[in-house]
Amino acid sequence: MLQYWTAILTEAAIFSVLALGIDMIWGWAGDFDLSAYAYFALGIYMTIVLTVGKAKSPVEYVLGLRLPYPLAVFIAVVVVVAFASIIGAIALRSLREVYFSITTLGAVWAIYYLVENFTPLFNGYNGVYGLFDPMGGGLSYAAYHYLFLGFCLLALFVVYLMVQRLSRSPFGRMVRAVRDDERAASVYGRNVFWAKYRTYLFGAGLAGFAGGLFAAYIGAFNPLDWKPTEIFVLYAAILVGGRGNPRGVVLGSFIVYVGFVEMTRYIPSPAARPELGPALRQILIGLLIILMLKFRPSGLLPERLGTDGTVPRRSWRGLLSRSKPLSLAGEVESTADSPEGTAT
Amino acid sequence: MHRTHEVLQSPSIHFKGRASAGSLELSIAIVRGDMSIFWISVGMGLAVSAILALSAVAFTLEYAVSRVVNLAHGEVLTIGAYAAYVTENTFHQSIYVCAVVATIAGSLTGIGMNFFLIERFRNQKSLSTLIATLGASLILQNLLLIGFGGASVSYSFAQGNLLHVGPFLWTTLTIEVMVSAVVVAALIYVLLQRTRLGKALRAVSQNRDLAQVSGIPARRVVMQTWAVAGAVSGFAGFLYGETIGTITPSVGNGFLLLSITAAVGGGLGRPYATFGGAMVLGLVMSIAGTYTSSAYQLVIAFGFLVVMLLIKPNGIFVRGRAQTVRV
Repeated sequence: MLQYWTAILTEAAIFSVLALGIDMIWGWAGDFDLSAYAYFALGIYMTIVLTVGKAKSPVEYVLGLRLPYPLAVFIAVVVVVAFASIIGAIALRSLREVYFSITTLGAVWAIYYLVENFTPLFNGYNGVYGLFDPMGGGLSYAAYHYLFLGFCLLALFVVYLMVQRLSRSPFGRMVRAVRDDERAASVYGRNVFWAKYRTYLFGAGLAGFAGGLFAAYIGAFNPLDWKPTEIFVLYAAILVGGRGNPRGVVLGSFIVYVGFVEMTRYIPSPAARPELGPALRQILIGLLIILMLKFRPSGLLPERLGTDGTVPRRSWRGLLSRSKPLSLAGEVESTADSPEGTAT
Repeated sequence: MHRTHEVLQSPSIHFKGRASAGSLELSIAIVRGDMSIFWISVGMGLAVSAILALSAVAFTLEYAVSRVVNLAHGEVLTIGAYAAYVTENTFHQSIYVCAVVATIAGSLTGIGMNFFLIERFRNQKSLSTLIATLGASLILQNLLLIGFGGASVSYSFAQGNLLHVGPFLWTTLTIEVMVSAVVVAALIYVLLQRTRLGKALRAVSQNRDLAQVSGIPARRVVMQTWAVAGAVSGFAGFLYGETIGTITPSVGNGFLLLSITAAVGGGLGRPYATFGGAMVLGLVMSIAGTYTSSAYQLVIAFGFLVVMLLIKPNGIFVRGRAQTVRV
C-alpha cells in the first residue's frame, strides 16, 4: 500500500510540473497549445537516449550516450526548448486562438507519426528503454523509490516557487496583459510576439524538465505512451485547479491525478473488457472539462489579477513577490516599432 | 508533323506540362515510363478526396454558422459508420438502408451536439467552445469504445470487381462511393444556392445577430445546418468505413485531422473553397504516399496544413489577403 501511494504521488508530482509548464502557455498567455505533450515526450526520449549508452543491433536510436543524469536532463531541456522555438515561431507569429490550436494539433500529430515510423530517431513504434538508476545505485528498491519521490516533490516545490514568483513578477503581469488585450498591450509598448514566445519557451522547457523526471521514473518509452490526446488530462487538471494560478494548478493536478487514479481502481475492469476502465476514465475527464468550462471556468482557485505583486502585502507571500508600482504591464521593455503579430 | 501529333496524345507529355514544378520522383517515373502507377494513385486520391470533401464541407458548415472548430466532428463520422454496421450486422439490411441509417444517425448526433453543447457555449469565446468539443470528442469516442469494444469491425458488402477506367484502376465500390459523394456535393450546392434555408444559412454565417434582427430565425437555421452537416458526416463515415474496410471507435478522429486540414487549407467556413481544399489534399496525400511511403502520408498532410497556415491562413481558394485570422 505504501509503495502504491509512493508511485501515485511521484506521478502526481511529475504531472504537476508538466501542468505548471502548460499552464504558463495556456493560463498566462492564453494560447491553447495541443503540442505540449510532444515536448514532454521529447524530454523523456532525450533523457533516455542520453543515459542508456549505445544502441544494440535491432534497436536503433540517435546519440546513445552515457551521461550523468542531471547533465542529460539539462541537455534534454535545451533540446526541447530549441525544438519548441521552431514550432512556437511558426504558430505564434501571426496565428491566434483557434488557428493556433489547429496548427499545434497538426504539428503534434505530424511529430507523432514521424517518431512512430522513422525508426533511426527513437526506435519508432517499439520505443526506447533501459532502466537506469539516476541516484547512483546502492539502494534497495523501496528506499530508492522513496528517495525518488522526495526528489520529485523537491523538484516540484522548487519549480512551483519559481513559477509563482515569475507569475507575480512584472513579466507575469505583462504576459497576462497581452493575453487580455493584445492591442492595448502593444499600444503600451509591449512586444506581443516576444512576450508570448518567451512564455511558450518557458512552458516547453518545464514540460521537457518534467519529461526528464518521468524518464527516470519509468525508464522505457514508446509512442503508445504518449498519444497526443493524453494532454486532455492535464487541461482537465488545470481547469479544475484554476487556470493561471500556479497554486491552483498544482492542486488540480493532485486532485485529478490522485482522484482519477483512485477512482479507476474501483471501476470493475473484467478480463473480457480490459478497455472499460480506461474508457470510463476518459469519459469522466471529458465531462469534467465540459462541466468546469460551463459552470466554473476559473477553477477552484481562480487567478487573482491586479493585487498579485502590485500591492505589497504583509504576509509570507510578500517575501516572494516583488512590490512595484502599479502599471499595465510592469516590464519596462518597450519597443517603439509595431510588434509582430498585432496587425489585424 | 506526325511525330508531334503522337507526342501530344501521349499521357506522359500531358502530365509533364502540368507538373513543371513536379518532384524528382515523378520525373523519374516519367523517364521510366511507368505512368500507370501515377494514374492509379491519382485514382485512389480521387476516391479519398470524395469522402474527405464531404466530411470537410460538413465541418466547414458547422464552423460557418456557429464559429466553432468542432473537434468532435470525427465522432459524428464514427457514429454514422457504426450505425450502418449495426444495421447491416444485426438487422441484415441492404447497403441502401445502411446508408440511410448512417445519414439519420449522423444527423441526430449533429442536432444533439448543437443543442447540448454548442448552443450552451454560444456566448463564450471560440476557444472555450473548442475545448468543450474536445471534451465531447473524448466522451463520444469512449462511449463507442465501451459499446462496441476496441477491436475493429467491418461490413460484409462486396468490394466488387477491379475496373480499368481510362488510366485509373478502381473497384465498383470505389466508383459507387465517388458517384454518391458527387451526388451529395451537388445536393449541398443546391441547398446552399437555391433554397430558403441556404440563403438563411449564408446570412447567419456572415452575421448571426444581424440575420436575427432581419427576421431570420437564426437559432432554427443553425439547428438545421447542424442537422444537414451531421447527415453529410454520417454518410461520409459510412463511405469511409466501406472504403477502408475496418471501423474502430477512433476511425473518425483520425479523419477529423484531415478534414480540418482540408477545410483550413481551402478556406475555413467557405464550403466551396473547402471542397477544393479537400480535392487538393486527397490528391497530394495519395500521390505523395505512393512515391514515398504510406506511413508518411499523415506527416505530409499536417506539414501541408502548417505551411498553408503560414503562407495563406485564410485558405488557398479564398481570394484576397488575410483579413482576420484571429477569430
